[in-house]
Amino acid sequence: MKDRIYLQSRSRLHDYEPIVGKSSLEELDALAGKLSGKIIQIINSTFVGGGVAEILEHMVPLLNQLGVDARWDVINGNEEFFEVTKKFHNALHGKHEKISPEDFALFSEVTERNLEEMKFYGDYFFIHDPQPVALIAKKKEVGKRWVWRCHIDVSNPDKKVWKFLRDFVVDYDAAIFSSPNFAQRLPIRQFLVTPSIDPLSDKNKELDSATIDSVLKKYGLTSSKPMIVQISRFDRLKDPLGVIEAFDIVRKNIDCQLVLAGGTATDDPESGDVLEEVRQRAENNPDIHVLLLPPESDIDINALQRAATIIIQKSLKEGFGLTISEALWKAKPVVASAVGGIPLQVRNKLTGLLCYTVEGAAYDLKQLLSNPEYAKWLGQNGREHVKHNFLVTSHLKNYLLVFLSLDQHSDVINL
Amino acid sequence: MFDWLTTSWLWLTQNWLYIAVPLLVFLATWVVGLWVRRFAYRAFNRWVVGKWEGSQLVIRATRAPFIHWFMILGAYIAIQVSKLDSSGKILADKILASLLVFSLTWVAVSLSIKIMKLYIGKVPRLQHSEPLMLNIVRIVFAVVGALILLDIWGAPTTPIILLLAAAILVAALAFRDVLANLFSGFQLAQGGQIKVGDFIKLESGESGYVTDVSWRSTQIRMLDGNLIMVPNSRLLQSTIINYGRPLRKATKPFHFYTHLHLKELTGLKAGNLTDLAKILKQVPDAVVYYHTHSFLEEHHYLIPEPANDFALWVNDELGNEVLGEQLASIDTFDFTSISALRARIEGVINDYLSKNPDGRTAHEGQEFYFIKSTSFVLPTPYIAHDLREFVEVLRQVSLNSLSYHIFEARLRLKKGVNDFSTWIEDYLGDKDLADRLAYLDPYNYTLEGLRSAIIQFIEKRIK
Repeated sequence: MKDRIYLQSRSRLHDYEPIVGKSSLEELDALAGKLSGKIIQIINSTFVGGGVAEILEHMVPLLNQLGVDARWDVINGNEEFFEVTKKFHNALHGKHEKISPEDFALFSEVTERNLEEMKFYGDYFFIHDPQPVALIAKKKEVGKRWVWRCHIDVSNPDKKVWKFLRDFVVDYDAAIFSSPNFAQRLPIRQFLVTPSIDPLSDKNKELDSATIDSVLKKYGLTSSKPMIVQISRFDRLKDPLGVIEAFDIVRKNIDCQLVLAGGTATDDPESGDVLEEVRQRAENNPDIHVLLLPPESDIDINALQRAATIIIQKSLKEGFGLTISEALWKAKPVVASAVGGIPLQVRNKLTGLLCYTVEGAAYDLKQLLSNPEYAKWLGQNGREHVKHNFLVTSHLKNYLLVFLSLDQHSDVINL
Repeated sequence: MFDWLTTSWLWLTQNWLYIAVPLLVFLATWVVGLWVRRFAYRAFNRWVVGKWEGSQLVIRATRAPFIHWFMILGAYIAIQVSKLDSSGKILADKILASLLVFSLTWVAVSLSIKIMKLYIGKVPRLQHSEPLMLNIVRIVFAVVGALILLDIWGAPTTPIILLLAAAILVAALAFRDVLANLFSGFQLAQGGQIKVGDFIKLESGESGYVTDVSWRSTQIRMLDGNLIMVPNSRLLQSTIINYGRPLRKATKPFHFYTHLHLKELTGLKAGNLTDLAKILKQVPDAVVYYHTHSFLEEHHYLIPEPANDFALWVNDELGNEVLGEQLASIDTFDFTSISALRARIEGVINDYLSKNPDGRTAHEGQEFYFIKSTSFVLPTPYIAHDLREFVEVLRQVSLNSLSYHIFEARLRLKKGVNDFSTWIEDYLGDKDLADRLAYLDPYNYTLEGLRSAIIQFIEKRIK
């Protein structure tokens, strides 16, 4: 087992009061009080990189501040294991992957090792994503309540992989998905909990114009041209090549620039290849900027989003798409694919524009670039939507409610 | 033995005047003192009787000491006319002056305290500060008396006075906030701008009833039941709204609750109208409640009178604008039970299907997903005893709390009317206001707009 990390939150709960209001924090406090004395053991595959680690990094300290004893552990896995789980990830997203019996065997072998090495001490076990899903085998021994949190778009999963994982999932007390269409036919309770952003984190806090300008300068960007930005790691499912195609259509009529910025995650061995393809595709176009951002680039990402005229997220598959929430929080107009959890954030023509194709994305981009007032209205609605539904405080509330609901089956529960 | 007596007698016969004269002077002064006291007190009584209630205190405090002062005066004159040598006279003068200072100090302390007690007893807001004020008076007189005594006996008082001045200065600096609060408290007491029982709202947003005003701070019982102490100096420096005396109290206070929703996925989905109607018939009430209120709760900032999820889906995903409009026009406010609302939605879909068989199917991934809303009901710390408190709490509670008492109570908890109207009618007896709130269609407002509308109704009534 990797060392557990103890996080010191950069934000205190009361720092959120000016944003979400005192009463929201009082409600959180009341809920947390109901879990007093219980330990929530959170397990995932990595402390760094990717949306899940990013959420937990903010959420665990905040749970602790609320008086909830939440502790975060990660499983131990080698490079081969993460290659297998990456295949699982793609297959669950519906992509065809060749997964051999040896791959399943390796997954089971690493799980067995973690089952032996890890300490299971929680009153609630909160397991994130498929990598540690098979730890449920420990339930027979330790009992307690187990919840599986699926961050992936499993609306159209590869049947073979889903069947393999489903045998583990059905032993949990409940599963949590990020979008209604991810729900599966399962004999256990399934909850809808959307992920969240932290408005006080480096990635989302307010920035002054000097900081934004310095970041633009650092990457050789100019603010004199409208800027279309996609922030996401270099992954085929984020369709960076499709974004370039849409940009090429827009660029024929409107002078603008495209920024594709992202990093890699330790559990994603494919990122390097995708980045190389994108660079090759963009090398002859000076208006396309491909930026490989190192892991500690939150301020840079924040600045790029704030400098953007439009933020695009043309994913082919998406778990939830936190970059959309980040963009909306900055009151930016958004063009995004209607996949995964994106429609929960982008209500078409109310909080942004939804697209289905490259041509549709290009059309939406042109609409927004040509109608700045409309773009501004969408962005402002988007910020309100995120404020009420996708901030970390709402996320905390939903997780607390899930734990409290595990022993309750009524539709109206008096706490 | 006889020699000593003989010598003494001889001395007395030769010097009897040296003793008799001072003694006579002393006795004469004493008699004059008795006489002066009699007339002075009679005149004083005539002068202040019925005019000042403290007159008897003055008389009681000075009656005995008055004679003492004449005795000291008599002794002083007697010594002056005696044949004592000068050093003896100086010593005697100092003793007599010390006795006089001691007596005057004693009387001053005693009289001041009695008069202060007389007045403090009449002003309740000063009673908390009585021990402090009495101690200050005692200390001031004691220090002044001591300084005069030291001066009489020739001790150097200047360094002591300087030391005292420095100490007072340091204390004034160290306790400047306390002093500022004391003076502010005095101003508040004099001005009478804030009284116990007033409902006030501070610049910082807190509001509540004033439960105590002391010299140092003002105590306020806030709407969540907590007590806050606001230093008087801050109170005077900030802008406050004083709404005055409490309004009529309800026979039972209103406890604000809130609700939080957890969305549970049912795993059920419909791709066309027939499936939608079929599944709608089977799902629990919690599913119908969710799909008729989710847009309102999640997008409450955006559009008043939002459509239900069924209308949005039929319109957006099936592209059936006619049925979409029919479903959107179902007025949820017309229904007081979910079963009736469900029947109406089913009826509209089935009517449409009977006349227009609709084969349209949603794209994969765009089906209608049935979601159940589990409601967790929590008490909040906020309690209102009258309409003033009620309206101030309403400004502060979360929109979840508002939604619970207006939407959930009426429809999901099957009360048929919102909680606010019930309380106002049953426990405040204001049927007119209760009816106004009951007839207010909450689905026509954003949640913030609804909050404002209710507040306006109540404020109008309070005025």
